[in-house]
Amino acid sequence: MSLLEIRGLCVRFGGLTAVSRVDLDVEEGALVALIGPNGAGKTTAFNVITGVYAPSEGSVRFAGREIGGVAPHTICSLGVARTFQNIRLFRSLSALENVRAALQGAKRSGTGDMLRLAGWRRREAAAETEARALLDELALGSFASARADSLPYGEQRRLEIARALATRPKLLLLDEPAAGMNPAEKQALRELVRRLRADRGLTIVLIDHDVSFVMNLSDRVAVLDHGEKIADGAPEVVRRDPHVIEAYLGSDGEAPA
Amino acid sequence: MRARSLLWLGVAIAFLVFLDVAAPRLLNPYYVTILSRIGIAVIAAVSLQLVNGFTGQFSIGHAGFMAIGAYASAALSVFAGAAVLAAAAQVVPLPVARLAYFPVALVFGGLVAAVAGIVVAVPALRLRGDYLAIATLGAGEIIRIAILNIDAVGGARGFSLASPEYPSIDLRYESLAGVFGVALIAIAAISRLVYAGGGLAFRAVREDETAAESIGIATTRVKVEAFLIASFFAGVAGALFAHSEGYIHTNTFGFVRSFELVAFVVLGGLGSLSGAILAAATLTALPEVLRGLGEWRMVLYSLLLIATMLLRPQGLLGQRELWPISRLKGGGG
Repeated sequence: MSLLEIRGLCVRFGGLTAVSRVDLDVEEGALVALIGPNGAGKTTAFNVITGVYAPSEGSVRFAGREIGGVAPHTICSLGVARTFQNIRLFRSLSALENVRAALQGAKRSGTGDMLRLAGWRRREAAAETEARALLDELALGSFASARADSLPYGEQRRLEIARALATRPKLLLLDEPAAGMNPAEKQALRELVRRLRADRGLTIVLIDHDVSFVMNLSDRVAVLDHGEKIADGAPEVVRRDPHVIEAYLGSDGEAPA
Repeated sequence: MRARSLLWLGVAIAFLVFLDVAAPRLLNPYYVTILSRIGIAVIAAVSLQLVNGFTGQFSIGHAGFMAIGAYASAALSVFAGAAVLAAAAQVVPLPVARLAYFPVALVFGGLVAAVAGIVVAVPALRLRGDYLAIATLGAGEIIRIAILNIDAVGGARGFSLASPEYPSIDLRYESLAGVFGVALIAIAAISRLVYAGGGLAFRAVREDETAAESIGIATTRVKVEAFLIASFFAGVAGALFAHSEGYIHTNTFGFVRSFELVAFVVLGGLGSLSGAILAAATLTALPEVLRGLGEWRMVLYSLLLIATMLLRPQGLLGQRELWPISRLKGGGG
């Protein structure tokens, strides 16, 4: 059974069909890339998986459970975490606070915090240690006390990943993590994604514009165009797929390298 | 760390005892009343700061919850408290009975206001930004006008804290220790709530609701929780006001009062408890300090507000506190 199983997914906004009859399977431990031109419906698909939108039709199953239309925070607690295409950090909070909010966000007790009985300080310290370890893992240790919006761009992207990891996900959805990065930064990001997958046994779905970024990274590439899935398979195969080439470049030519 | 908490508790109690014993002897009643109003303003301001400053939900109807706390506790005192105190006076000395009853009246006012807070919050918090502000303004006015039409609590005549059946029982409490004790409890409770790992949920909701949901924070629950706690303390502040003044009228809790509370949190700095305290104390004392200016008093008061916002748009303290919270921020290691 696949960890994520999407069947006949349609998302409509009024008269606009953003995602149309899409099927997608993501096996446990896989790294699947979701690519396609702007407006192809990639982010909309993510928004449905994470509960931001409810599907108009079709089903989304995670670990065997239907999650279509379930509240985002509930889906997170089941083990799905994400980053955002337009960085959505808690801007005025420090990097450490961003991660800690995610560590403790779901299982908090207001009365516990107010009373601060025995063990409270130890639990807070443990959470802080864990948050610092996550920041270190993503090479953000030196930014712990810096405001999130004061971080350089690449660090903000990594902080979003750190925050997502703090929710201890099984499935990590990365929405254009390489956007706005230069080739060297992209290479470093590829290494990071590989490392996270290997070290943490994560299942990852990653959105990007072009095939080249995900070429040596993902096991499988699914291509969306105008809301429909037009190809799904090994990266080398998808890259030569005439439908994909047409979607990107018109009727003749090659997929962008 | 335990020892330090106990030390602070000791300091707080010594401060309150000093206030109660020394202040009425050293100061004339006019100053005692102003101090009492400052304490009440501080309670209302820090509670509103939780909603407006930390959770980012702009409420401008907070005086409505003060009204509920004031009237609920006053009604309890007049219709039940007086009889209970008269009966208790047969067994224990009246001052002791009064001391035991007072917190009950305060908590009662707070609880009724908290229930009202939930009733308002659940539908209103589905709205955002300007729409939420208008809805809370409306809710505050609805509360005020509803109370105005309840004849049992005096309606347009206002409500005196005196029981016709037990005229000898004094229901007024002019206690600075009570006011500042509650203020310290409110400050400690809200500060501990927001400056904890779990309390980051409030600020996460303020910063980005979509992102907060995505990391597992039930944003609606967090918002309702903030509203609930804020309206509880507003209710307690109202109860304190009712029992120290001895007479209340719905006009005291109109939208002008609500806006005054909003001015406290904005001027102090949205997201700063110490800022709210500072602004509440300053802006409550200022009109009294300026009394010598006659009719120019409120003009100067308004000009000072405008000047402060021009010079410090982020408020007096921005998001800083006058006490250390660096551990959570990540500084200090």
